[in-house]
Amino acid sequence: MKFKLAVVAGVAVLAAVAIAASASARPQHATAKKVSAGGTYRVEWESSFDFTDGFDPTGEYLGEAFGIYSNLLVRTLVGYNHVKGAPGNALVPDVATDLGKISNGGKTYTFKIKPGVKFGPPLNRQVTSADFAFAMERIKDPKIGAQYGFYYNEVKNVETPDASTVVYNLTKPTGDFRYRIAMPAAGPMPKEVAGCFTEAAKYGRVLISSGPYMLEGSDKLDASSCDKVAASTISGFDGEKVLSLVRNPAYQPGTDSTKARENFPDAFTFTVNTNTDDIYAKIARGDIEDEVAGETPTILRQYQGSDQLKTNDGDRTWYLTMNTTQPPFDDVHVRRATNFVIDRVGLRKAWGGPAAGAIATHIAPDAILNDKLKGYAPYGASGKGDLAKAKAEMKLSKYDANKDGLCDAKVCQNLFTVQGESAIRIAMVPIVEASMKKIGIKLKTRVLKDAYTPIQTPSLNIPFSLRPGWGKDYADALTFYGPLFDGRTIIPKGNTNYSLLGITPAIAKKVRAKGNIAAAPSVNADLDKCAPLVGGPRVSCYATLDKKLTTQIVPWVPYLWSYSQTVVSKNVTKWEFDQFGGTIAYAHVAVK
Amino acid sequence: MAKVTDVAVTHVPVVGRTPRQLFWGRFRQDKAALFGGGVIITLVLLATFAGVISNIVGHGPNDVYQSTMTDDFGIPKGPNSSFWFGADSAARDLFVRVLYGARTSLLVALFATSVSMTIGVTVGVVAGYYRGFADTLLSRVSDVVLAMPQLLLAIGIGAACGQTAQGCVGGLIQPGLGLVVFVISAFTWPYVARIVRSTTLSLREKEFVEAARSLGASDRRIIVREILPNLVAPITIYATLLIPANILFEAGLSYLGLGLPPDTPSWGQAISSAAEGGLYRTTPWLMIFPGIFLILTTLAFNLLGDGLRDAIDPRSDR
Repeated sequence: MKFKLAVVAGVAVLAAVAIAASASARPQHATAKKVSAGGTYRVEWESSFDFTDGFDPTGEYLGEAFGIYSNLLVRTLVGYNHVKGAPGNALVPDVATDLGKISNGGKTYTFKIKPGVKFGPPLNRQVTSADFAFAMERIKDPKIGAQYGFYYNEVKNVETPDASTVVYNLTKPTGDFRYRIAMPAAGPMPKEVAGCFTEAAKYGRVLISSGPYMLEGSDKLDASSCDKVAASTISGFDGEKVLSLVRNPAYQPGTDSTKARENFPDAFTFTVNTNTDDIYAKIARGDIEDEVAGETPTILRQYQGSDQLKTNDGDRTWYLTMNTTQPPFDDVHVRRATNFVIDRVGLRKAWGGPAAGAIATHIAPDAILNDKLKGYAPYGASGKGDLAKAKAEMKLSKYDANKDGLCDAKVCQNLFTVQGESAIRIAMVPIVEASMKKIGIKLKTRVLKDAYTPIQTPSLNIPFSLRPGWGKDYADALTFYGPLFDGRTIIPKGNTNYSLLGITPAIAKKVRAKGNIAAAPSVNADLDKCAPLVGGPRVSCYATLDKKLTTQIVPWVPYLWSYSQTVVSKNVTKWEFDQFGGTIAYAHVAVK
Repeated sequence: MAKVTDVAVTHVPVVGRTPRQLFWGRFRQDKAALFGGGVIITLVLLATFAGVISNIVGHGPNDVYQSTMTDDFGIPKGPNSSFWFGADSAARDLFVRVLYGARTSLLVALFATSVSMTIGVTVGVVAGYYRGFADTLLSRVSDVVLAMPQLLLAIGIGAACGQTAQGCVGGLIQPGLGLVVFVISAFTWPYVARIVRSTTLSLREKEFVEAARSLGASDRRIIVREILPNLVAPITIYATLLIPANILFEAGLSYLGLGLPPDTPSWGQAISSAAEGGLYRTTPWLMIFPGIFLILTTLAFNLLGDGLRDAIDPRSDR
């Protein structure tokens, strides 16, 4: 009887609690959610985890991969606090005891490694200077294919006077060197495992963690010999399906800062789901916590005003790219006229309107240049376009023989243009076509599943594309100008200098680009001038370069500085944005 | 008694009727086929006068009405008095685009069907009439074509030839209307060839062909004057049934983003853009209107085809 009563009472109490909970859940907004450790943070991704280099940190360069490495798996000498805004772009010591000492006129960087920073299972050993030296060795190995290897061209050698001291000797002063070694490729790599992989994209599947989490099943890896390592896989990684992470038992929170990593969940699962619709349905039901997928205008509208929609500055510019060696874009007046005529407001609307981002008025997002160019809008701040000025520019062009402000050359008829395939991209096409028609340019647009490959291949001589966007690699302006406008980096495939600025006849021959090579302007000298500077002068130098690019060189029509958006489920009790990679700050999230 | 007299009085002499009259007499009674025919005539008129209608409405097929026809998030608005079908995902007038889409669909279907009929009939007649080596060769070739994965090939051609302005094979193959017609006709002619071949095989043994041959008629004359006229019925029926299949094939190719450039209105493309990112859930008209037109057209051609077959060849089973 007593027992029964207790049960009844228990049920009654439970019911009361449930009712109270549901009652409080409804009007909830003001009440702060209780943050607690534990649980699994489930994220679904639209794309695979093979990323650009099979999850091998040496070759990987996508921001989304940087987010997972930097928050969860790969600690670097210096790193970030994984928070939003300017504080998220500031460097803090991570594996190193401090931000390092600079000597030898800016050519030597010396770091001390904290004791207690360990590799996870199966190694469970202290991270040493040799592991950083080996990471650099891998970056420099052409067979591994480090996509961002050019960021380490200035590294002459890495000295390891003792197990806890790393010394980088550079060939020339490099103002942003600390940012470069904060990238995951420069993080520690154990030679006994990573050394077993001498080709690109292989090490990722058995990545040994130095962070708070590790690939699930890492402890079962047999690292006794390279043959054994090469033959094994870790159950937590399948590039096409799933990436599952669990706590790394070798991680010592005392060596880390809670400002950088709080590590609430017990586990993370990242699952590939190509059905974006399904991803959002699961978020709505609370079957998963978070998503890495394209937020369509419909989703933006649905979650507008809700605290489930997280909007942050993405430090990303979307632009139309003009090839300066291809007529009519070999004439700067046509490029300027294009900048004046494009309806940027219309393009932003195709992306989802003001909720999608800010109108871009010059090359790099304002935050990258410490707001030095805030409000700088040589082609108009409204973004609606200025037809009179566009026509005036066109009149100055050699392609407008009768000076009526319309291109009358044959090249302006059916000008070949490539664009990607998604709904947003297809909706951009008629807007650009209508704008260009106003200055007499008729586009012949081809919609391709992969529009990047053609514009990254100079030998295809694509004059115009609506596809590209660029995000920073780290919080330094160089990452917005070096890879995009340096003529010496032009390569036959995977080229990111789409406008071919600074191309020479010799390079053109090498990459088999044909066109008006002599017309391509160069900013190589400006880039060389800014690169060694530090601090304020550095930012000013790049701001000057940005102005020159926007008005005198004119390789792009920048139109959108997109926000980084994420929709989270109601299970999420704490969420943060990581400004470094422009991703979810996994190190600070928590789930109910 | 009176009855008998009646019959005798109202006796009408039996009038000989031509096959054409027989056909029309039967076809006239097939309500479904007449409906199909009516729908097709309407569609053809709409497609022909799409430009005129678009002028009357005042909206071009590629005019963008972002400020009036989208909300703050760029999501298109639904039907209203000046946009009867609402706006599409790029804020263009869906009504005008559906009419132009009819033009694209019908053009592609007619072109592709005529090309595949021409190839199919030629191959089928030659194979069926000459038999032997010619038959073996042509039949094997059409078997090989049937074995090819058409959709994969189309996707491959689209991907490989879409990257440059020049296309492939020195500009011979370029994504666009031409490629769509080429892909469709390249893969449908073997079906026609098979039917024509088997009919020809039986026709060539018929008495009238024997008679012509014994009179010393040449092969060419026999094919053109004796065999082809007897093939008109099956060819007509098959062509009518092939057209809707080709319209669907074109819609499928456009749905996959192959071929047609984005400024060419097409039903398949319209439906595809509605499916993208689940847009149809908030803007169902994007899928409904092009969908209705696609279904109506396919249904109309199928009904007409069935009606034609029943009228031309009443003995055949369904």
